[in-house]
Amino acid sequence: MSTWGATLAALTALTAAVAGFAALSLAMDRHWEALHGRGSDPGTLRRWLQGGGSVGLLVSLLACIAMKGGAQGTVAWAGMLTAAAVIVVLLSTYAPARVPPLAKMMALVALVSALATALPGVL
Amino acid sequence: MKEGFRQSMAWLHTWSGLLVGWLLFLVFAAGTAAYFRDEITLWMKPELHAAAHPSVPQTVALGHAQTLLEGRAANASRWFITMPSEREPAVRASWMPARKKDAGEAKPRGRRRFESAELDPVTGTELSAPRATRGGDFFYRLHFDLHYMSPLWARWMVGVAAMFMLVAILSGIVTHKRIFKDFFTFRPAKGQRSWLDAHNVTAVLALPYHLMITFTGIVTLMFMYMPWGVQALYPSQDQFFTDLNNALPADAKPARRLAPLAPLAPMLAQASAAWDGAPVGRVTVNFPGDANATVLISRQAGRAIGYDQPTMLFNGVSGRLLSSSTPPGTATETRSVLYGLHIARFSNPLLRGLFFLSGLAGCAMVATGLMLWAVKERQKHAKALARGEGHFGLRLVDGLNIGAIAGVPLAMAAFFWANRLLPATMPERPDAEIRWFFIAWGVSALVALARPSRRMWQLLLALGGVLFALLPLLNAMTGGAHLGTAIAAGLWPVAGFDLVTLALGIALLFAARRLGRPAAIKKAPVTHVTAEAA
Repeated sequence: MSTWGATLAALTALTAAVAGFAALSLAMDRHWEALHGRGSDPGTLRRWLQGGGSVGLLVSLLACIAMKGGAQGTVAWAGMLTAAAVIVVLLSTYAPARVPPLAKMMALVALVSALATALPGVL
Repeated sequence: MKEGFRQSMAWLHTWSGLLVGWLLFLVFAAGTAAYFRDEITLWMKPELHAAAHPSVPQTVALGHAQTLLEGRAANASRWFITMPSEREPAVRASWMPARKKDAGEAKPRGRRRFESAELDPVTGTELSAPRATRGGDFFYRLHFDLHYMSPLWARWMVGVAAMFMLVAILSGIVTHKRIFKDFFTFRPAKGQRSWLDAHNVTAVLALPYHLMITFTGIVTLMFMYMPWGVQALYPSQDQFFTDLNNALPADAKPARRLAPLAPLAPMLAQASAAWDGAPVGRVTVNFPGDANATVLISRQAGRAIGYDQPTMLFNGVSGRLLSSSTPPGTATETRSVLYGLHIARFSNPLLRGLFFLSGLAGCAMVATGLMLWAVKERQKHAKALARGEGHFGLRLVDGLNIGAIAGVPLAMAAFFWANRLLPATMPERPDAEIRWFFIAWGVSALVALARPSRRMWQLLLALGGVLFALLPLLNAMTGGAHLGTAIAAGLWPVAGFDLVTLALGIALLFAARRLGRPAAIKKAPVTHVTAEAA
C-alpha cells in the first residue's frame, strides 16, 4: 500500500472509531442526559446510535486490516480504539455539547477517506 | 457468595497493586520511553543531526563498513554491522576488540564493551564521533535490568512485579462491576470518585494493551523464570540459544590461519533476494580474516510481528551459503510473536505512537491506583489526622507516591539535561549521565519522604515540567537540530522528541497548577493530579 493510501486508511480508522465511540456513548443514559437534561432518554434513537456506533468500530477494523494486514492490523486497531476512546472521554467530560457535532464530522471524514481509499481499487 | 468473591478480589487487587506499584511505575515509564529508543539515542547525539542521509543500495553501505572494519578492526574476534533504517540513518560498525594480554583495566560491570563507528552510508566517511551516551538504551535496560545491581536479581524482581501486575489486572476486572456502564465516565473534582474514575478509564480503555504487555513481558524472560524444559533437553542454555537463533555454535573456534574475508555485499544481495527483497538488518562476522570466518545475515524487522528474523549463515572465505534458518515450529513461532508484540520493533511510526499512548495510559493507571490507596486510607483516618496525629503507613505511601510519580519524570528530564550540559569529551560520560538520573531521583525521593505534602507534589511536578518543557530550547542551544530546521529537513525523530517532551512538560506543569487551585483543595482533601500528567 502506498504511503498516501496508508495515510488515508489510518485517517479512516481513527475517525470511524471516534465517531463510533461517540455514538455509543450517546446511546447511554448518563451521557445523553448530560446533553438533554435529567430524565430524558434517547428513546428509539438508542438502537440507531448503537448500530451506527458498532458499524463505526467495524469500519475502523477493516481500515486497519487494509492498512497493515490481518495480524498487525488487529494490533493497530486495538491502539486506535484506545486513542479514540480517550478523545471521546475527554470531550464528554469537558465539552459534552461538542460530542454530537464531532461524531457527525468524524463520520463524514471517515466516509470520504474510506471511499478515497477503496475507490481506486474498484475503478 | 458472589459478593464475597468480589470482595476478596478487591482485597487482592488492592494489595497486589500497592506492593509493587512504585517499581511498576518505573518499569512502565522506562518501557514506554523505550519504544522510542532509537529516536532518543539520536536526539542525545546532536553531532549526528546535521548529516543528511539519502538512501543508497544496502550493498554500497555494507561495502563502506567492510572497508572501515578491515582497516581498523582486523584483529577483532567479531564484527557487527547494523544496516541503515528509517530510524537510524547511519551505518553502525561495531567490533569486539581482541583481548589484550596486559589487560590491566577491569571489565566494566561484567558486560564486554564494544567499540563502534558510525558511517555515512553514501560516502562511507566516518561521522564525527558523537558524544558517548547510552541514549535510549538506558531506558530499555532500566525497565528490566534496573541499575546498580545484578541484572539477575533485577530480572527476578521485575518478573515478580509483573506477575503481581497480572494478578492485579485480572482481579481488577472482577472488582470493576461497571466496565461498560462507566466506559466513558470521568467525573473531575470529586475527590475519591475522580481518582477511581481516572483509574478505571486508564485501565479499561487500554485493557488489551495492559494485558498483552504484562503477559508478554513475562514471556520475554520465560527461559530464566522457568528453565526446566530447556534443561531437560539441552546440556547448556548456550546450546539452546544457538539452536534458537540459528547462530554459530558457542564453542566455535578460529583456525588461527589467515585467510582474506570475501566481499560481504554479494552475500547480502543473495540473502535479501531470498527474502523477496526485504532489507537486511544486521550482518555479523565471526573471526574476520581467519580461515574459519563465518557471516550471519538477518532480515530487518518490520515485515512481521515476530521477534525472530530469518537468518542465513555464509562461509566467510568462500562466500558460500552454509545454512538458512528453517521456518520455526509452532511453539517457537508463538514465543517469537509474543516477544515481538512486547518490543514492537515491527511498528511503523503510527503504530509505535499508539503503543506509546497506551504505555502512558499504563503509567497513569499505576499512578492513579497508588493515589487511590492513599485517598481511601486518608478518609479512614480522617478524624485522627484532623487531631494532628500522624499515620506512619499513610505518610510512607504519600512519600513513595511523590518520589515515584513526580520523581521519575524529573529524573528522566535530568538525564536529558546532563546529556547536553556535561562536557562532550569527558571520560566515563555515559555513566555520568546515568548518575544524574539517579541523583535527581534520589534527592526527589528523599525530600518527598521527609515532607510528603501537597506543596512537595507541586514543587517536584513543576520542576519536572519546566525541565521537560525547556528541552526543545536546550536542544537548539547546544548544537542539536532545533524544531524549525528539524521539521524543514524532515528529521522527524528529533522533531518528534522535542514535541513530545514539550507536551509532557506542559502536562506536568498543568498538574502542578491544578494542585494550587483553592477549589480543588476544598473539594478534595488530597492532591489532585489529572490522569494525563502521570
